[in-house]
Amino acid sequence: MIVSIKDIVKLFGISIMTCCAVTVCNLFLNYYLDLTAIADLNDNPYSQMFYDAQIMTAKVVCAVSGGCLAITTVVMLFFYIKHYIDSHSKEIGILKALGYSDFKIAKGFSVFGLSVFIGCMIGYLLSFVLMPQFYELQNEDGYLLELSIHFHWILFVLLVILPTVVFAVIAVCNSLLKLRQPCVNLLKGIVKARGKSKNIRDKKTFVAEMRSSVLRSRKTLVFFIAFSSFCFSAMIQMSASMKDLSSEMMGLMILIIGIVLAFTTLYIAVTTVIRSNQKNIAMMRVFGYDSADCKRSVLDGYRPAAYIGFVIGSVYQYALLRIMVDIVFAGVEGVPEYEFDFPVCFITLAVFIVVYEGIMFAYGQSMKRIPLKQIMSE
Amino acid sequence: MIEIKDLTKYYGKGESRFKALDGVSVRIEDGEFIVILGASGSGKSTFLNVISGLEPSDGGTVDYDSRQLDKLSEKELTKFRRDNTAYIFQQYYLLPHLNVEKNVRMGADLDNNKDYLKFIEAVGLSEKRKKFPAELSGGEQQRVAIARALAKNPKVLFLDEPTGALDEKTGRQVLDYIIKLQQEQGFTMIMVTHNGNIAETADRIIKMNSGKIVSVTENSA
Ligand SMILES: Nc1ncnc2c1ncn2[C@@H]1O[C@H](COP(=O)(O)OP(=O)(O)O)[C@@H](O)[C@H]1O
Ligand SMILES: [Mg+2]
Repeated sequence: MIVSIKDIVKLFGISIMTCCAVTVCNLFLNYYLDLTAIADLNDNPYSQMFYDAQIMTAKVVCAVSGGCLAITTVVMLFFYIKHYIDSHSKEIGILKALGYSDFKIAKGFSVFGLSVFIGCMIGYLLSFVLMPQFYELQNEDGYLLELSIHFHWILFVLLVILPTVVFAVIAVCNSLLKLRQPCVNLLKGIVKARGKSKNIRDKKTFVAEMRSSVLRSRKTLVFFIAFSSFCFSAMIQMSASMKDLSSEMMGLMILIIGIVLAFTTLYIAVTTVIRSNQKNIAMMRVFGYDSADCKRSVLDGYRPAAYIGFVIGSVYQYALLRIMVDIVFAGVEGVPEYEFDFPVCFITLAVFIVVYEGIMFAYGQSMKRIPLKQIMSE
Repeated sequence: MIEIKDLTKYYGKGESRFKALDGVSVRIEDGEFIVILGASGSGKSTFLNVISGLEPSDGGTVDYDSRQLDKLSEKELTKFRRDNTAYIFQQYYLLPHLNVEKNVRMGADLDNNKDYLKFIEAVGLSEKRKKFPAELSGGEQQRVAIARALAKNPKVLFLDEPTGALDEKTGRQVLDYIIKLQQEQGFTMIMVTHNGNIAETADRIIKMNSGKIVSVTENSA
């Protein structure tokens, strides 16, 4: 079949992403639920004040980790799966032509659910490993005597079972949708009628035409790159800003997880772009286009999308945190001022440039070493 | 002139190591038309890939005039390909999201060839030059691949079963065109084919079996 249990290893990016997102979400959501459970138990005003502050930060962090990490992970995964299925339409077509039923083919794609499950499960367990220390740190001064770790099965369902089922279903449905096309279209890789051929200006050179058509033909990939840059930018800057708004430990944790998640996302997107263009590049090389030409015509087209994504990510994270701070901390004294953090933004941008251009460059270099025959017969 | 000496190529490792080319030596003059015959799996494609620099060899040498192929850096090899060679593959390897014209320009641009439309016309696809590969029949796709290679004005043209997907008549037409062009421009042409008629028009026929050359026949036409 097209994806088998063995492919789980190749899909490790999915597991890393879900693992990070679930770790953060569960850590804070669990804390938040345990915190609300002891709402009525505070007898002195000190602990009440401390409690209110804790609830508030937990709310911010939950909203951020839920609103940013979880949603971006879901969107990334959705596009990753969709792209994976799109790029395997030939194999799907062959199976269909051989007489496999649609459902039988589609069922194979449910292994995506398994890699999501692995990631979620590891993330869930990891959060419980971190939790005792986290609780202790949050309650260093011992105001909240009754605070202890409880297991909330609702969180297990929400963060482990639900994503597993949802992504398995998404993958299966997506491939079923794909399978509705006639067999021949799958085999030939016809996506839909291309009515635009008249508009193509013939003055363009091959390299220029190649660049625009690569982008036009796979719009999801452009979105993918833009979105991952968006995540990269938003997550790192947000987690850096959170440091001022919550405790040291919490900030550090978010920062680490944000960075891991951001890197994984970007890595997945860039390698996906590269892999799906490998054949075109190989063919250009056979004809004697040098690697600079290949890079220019195939990979460089994605650059504007990447940087636009980065800028939107910066604005988004600022807006989100601004709103959060204004709403949640409204009327509370002594809340640190939240302003756009230019140094962090520049550092993030620098890291982004290094990582993005670095991966592209490294690929450009490795491109030279892969035997052409191998790429073409893949 | 292409001088091939004692060329060896292995696939796989250890126990399952398989000798796909076994000490092949041959000398090909400029402007020659060579046809390679042999059963499926006899190493014809491997031979073509190695002498054209698509795959490294495991022993022996390939010299283009004074240039030894395996001594070239990747950069030099790219330039060598750009200036000298073109390929027509069994599988057409067209770029799926570019129309016929743009696929042909892929070859033409490398030689700053503005006159590429004549190649599209020659393979009989003027009407379909705005179509995409997926909208063409196998034979039409192969004709695009042929036009693409020719538009590059190569010094050496490699063809690996180029008319396998064409019917007798179309195949014949396309090959006649290639041969006419070869005679006009005098490029070297090395072709793998099963078509006996074509073989007769070649200058020399190389027969291969189990990775070895079993005979070289001169056509004294
Ligand atoms: N990448 C590869 N790995 C292992 N064996 C290969 C590979 N490519 C070709 N072969 C083997 O080498 C032999 C020659 O192949 P090929 O040159 O394609 O034959 P032909 O073109 O004459 O049909 C075949 O037996 C084939 O199985
Ligand atoms: Mg062959």
